[in-house]
Amino acid sequence: MLKRLLPLAICLASTTVYALDQGEYRLNGFGTVGFTHLGGEDEGRSYGVSGQTTDAWRGDQLSKFGGQFSYGLTDTLGVTVQATAKPLQDEWKANIEWAYLSWQATDALMLRAGRLRTPVYMYSESIDVGFSYPWLRLPDEVYSQVQLSNYEGVDANYSLPLSFGSLSFQVAGGQAKNRDYFAYDELYDIDYDKVFGANVSLASNDFGTLRVGYVEADITTDINGSVVGVVPPGVGVSQQQSLLNLKKNKGKFTSIGYQYDDGSWLSANEWTRRSVEGDGMESIDAFYLMGGRRFGEFLAHVTYAQLADNGGRQTSWTYGLNYNIAPTVVLKGEYKRVDTSGGYDGVFVRGAQELYQNTVSERTNGAFGVPARNYDGDIVSVGVDFVF
Amino acid sequence: MNNVFRSAAALSLLAFSGLVAAEVAVIVNPGASKAPSQSQVANIFLGKDKSMKGVDHKDWTPTKDKFYSAVTSKSESQLKSYWSGLVFTGKGQPLPSVAGDAEVVARVAAEADAIGYVDSGAVNDSVKVLFTLP
Repeated sequence: MLKRLLPLAICLASTTVYALDQGEYRLNGFGTVGFTHLGGEDEGRSYGVSGQTTDAWRGDQLSKFGGQFSYGLTDTLGVTVQATAKPLQDEWKANIEWAYLSWQATDALMLRAGRLRTPVYMYSESIDVGFSYPWLRLPDEVYSQVQLSNYEGVDANYSLPLSFGSLSFQVAGGQAKNRDYFAYDELYDIDYDKVFGANVSLASNDFGTLRVGYVEADITTDINGSVVGVVPPGVGVSQQQSLLNLKKNKGKFTSIGYQYDDGSWLSANEWTRRSVEGDGMESIDAFYLMGGRRFGEFLAHVTYAQLADNGGRQTSWTYGLNYNIAPTVVLKGEYKRVDTSGGYDGVFVRGAQELYQNTVSERTNGAFGVPARNYDGDIVSVGVDFVF
Repeated sequence: MNNVFRSAAALSLLAFSGLVAAEVAVIVNPGASKAPSQSQVANIFLGKDKSMKGVDHKDWTPTKDKFYSAVTSKSESQLKSYWSGLVFTGKGQPLPSVAGDAEVVARVAAEADAIGYVDSGAVNDSVKVLFTLP
């Protein structure tokens, strides 16, 4: 293998780069306008990575817009800034997702420093660009696991063309302070220290792309909720309950993904495992399997996804139909059926009071509180993804 | 499978344009130091192999359609989706492009490490044909 790679590496020594030339700039944009609705659950119940899907048809929950500016300082040194506007907790927020200096050191090696996207999942780095993946909503079972979308630090990207495709490596390190963490229907402050990530991706022209990635960080957060007591003598008394307290606990995340696309058939699959040392829980495993077929400008796809967490389980089937209105505009429609078992909330949102009631019920053998239950819902989403 | 796809693409082109099937020629500079295979050409035009300078067509012409469907199995929207995945992750920028076969031939003739593709009718002595796509 190495003997075959060596001549390839040597012929890479020529000087062409695909970074921008000095003084050259590019302005690109992307966006999603989506409508989504959760049916079949209680009134007011929400679902999603940040609880963004409810029983009201709303146009702002899946929608987002972004713009990216790249400028060549020299032929090998460049600057890139990407800003997005997306809703979080009913409010539109502007974010700087990327802001970095890049240096194309050789044809194969690119180094970057600044604010970078955390390479957590297979689709992490283009997570806001719906046009780059087939769904309107990425499978929540997997994509709700890590909420960290960017960090401040450095990364190195190395890519090697092969006779049948290409091989690329990425190593990333840095930190992310004062980020938002959505849990129990509220946003909490969270710090990620010593963020480290590494991934390898093998792309073949005929047999798809395999990606294996790992990310870890020291996590600090204090999640607590204000609840009203249900156990005597504290019935009706408001109190603070600590739900999760982490002080530089190491969080680890592994993702193994595979994508295939031959122009008519496509498939995207990812398996992930998340664990946090000292949080008193087992690791959380999730995966999705997706297959699709293009018919002219149409793409029909189906996805099975599963999330297993400490005895609870969420499973879902998603059926989608996309239509390319124009080469850079795609109309997407999706129906997703979600079920949970084992008294598990999955990606459905439980408030602090509800969690407290469920926990009290479990600890008092049902004498007080409300037992945990299963959830199910039908999620319909319609939207348009575009790039320019 | 690939051949079936290719001839299907060629057939649909025929039906679409109503013209006699023109071949697409992949061209390099006569002084080119290497002769990439079809899969290496795919890598060059997908931005994965930077050892040669790919010269692309600005507009989505029948020649461009034929080239990308034959060499990379990608349609126009799939190619745009592929590049948006690279552009917005900072991992690549689409290749420089020029308008028309004559411009591509001129650019390839001018640079020793340039590579392009044109309708075979546009090929002249200033460039060397690497291979043609039927």
